[in-house]
Amino acid sequence: MEAPPYAVFLFPSVSHALKAEKILKEQGIVHKLIPVPRHISSDCGVCLRVAVAQQGLVAEALQGLVTWERMVLL
Amino acid sequence: MKTTVDARGLACPQPVLLAKKAIAENEEVIVLVDNEIAVENIRRLAVKTACGFSVTEKEGGVREIGLVRIGATGQAPVDAGAVAAELTCAIVPEKETGPIVVVLSDNRMGRGDDVLGDVLIRAFIHTLAQLKPLPATIICYNAGVKLAVKDSTVLDDLQQLAKAGVDILVCGTCVNYFGLGDQIAAGRISNMYDILETMAGAARLVRP
Repeated sequence: MEAPPYAVFLFPSVSHALKAEKILKEQGIVHKLIPVPRHISSDCGVCLRVAVAQQGLVAEALQGLVTWERMVLL
Repeated sequence: MKTTVDARGLACPQPVLLAKKAIAENEEVIVLVDNEIAVENIRRLAVKTACGFSVTEKEGGVREIGLVRIGATGQAPVDAGAVAAELTCAIVPEKETGPIVVVLSDNRMGRGDDVLGDVLIRAFIHTLAQLKPLPATIICYNAGVKLAVKDSTVLDDLQQLAKAGVDILVCGTCVNYFGLGDQIAAGRISNMYDILETMAGAARLVRP
């Protein structure tokens, strides 16, 4: 399967990820909660995957509301 | 010299290994086995080591195999590696190589915390779509049917699995019970007959 260009946002905890997800849902930003890909290490096992094109929008939406650890392009 | 090896109840490749050892030390060997795979492996051993081979059906599914060295050829050195390579234990595990069936009996993974259970089931089903080999069937029952509804957070993963050839059985009784008749968007409505037959026929059942 050809992987579409995605970006994942990693969070310090599952709670952070869930809080962020709620915000994205409210703002109608298409996203998916997925397990953190194997090649990326993170204490929190889940992350939010969004289209690469949306990453700026996501960062903006989360700004000041949820801290995220880092963003990785898949 | 003649000896008898009782290899009943032993897992592959034990019977053929015992037979190989015995025929290396004896002119004639009787091997008792209880499955067809052991018979086939020992038949192959006989060909490989140039032994005479006979098999007799006994009571209770037991097969009595006779191995006899044919002149000096029976003593031809056996390449252990070659014999090992010829072993076909792989066909025994019909059950191990058979279908993997995933059972989703709840719309959450594990017990203890519902919010966490929701996160986990989503991660599970997303990862399931990347499993190799894919399961043959996914069965959804009880609250598990809620995973297959239109606004399910795992709908796209289930649809991707279905597209990849995974049969998704959704318990009709459960759909009816929850009043979700018009909302199922992945898989096909099924019944207890198919669900039970599929589970009983699985090599492995995987439950989140």
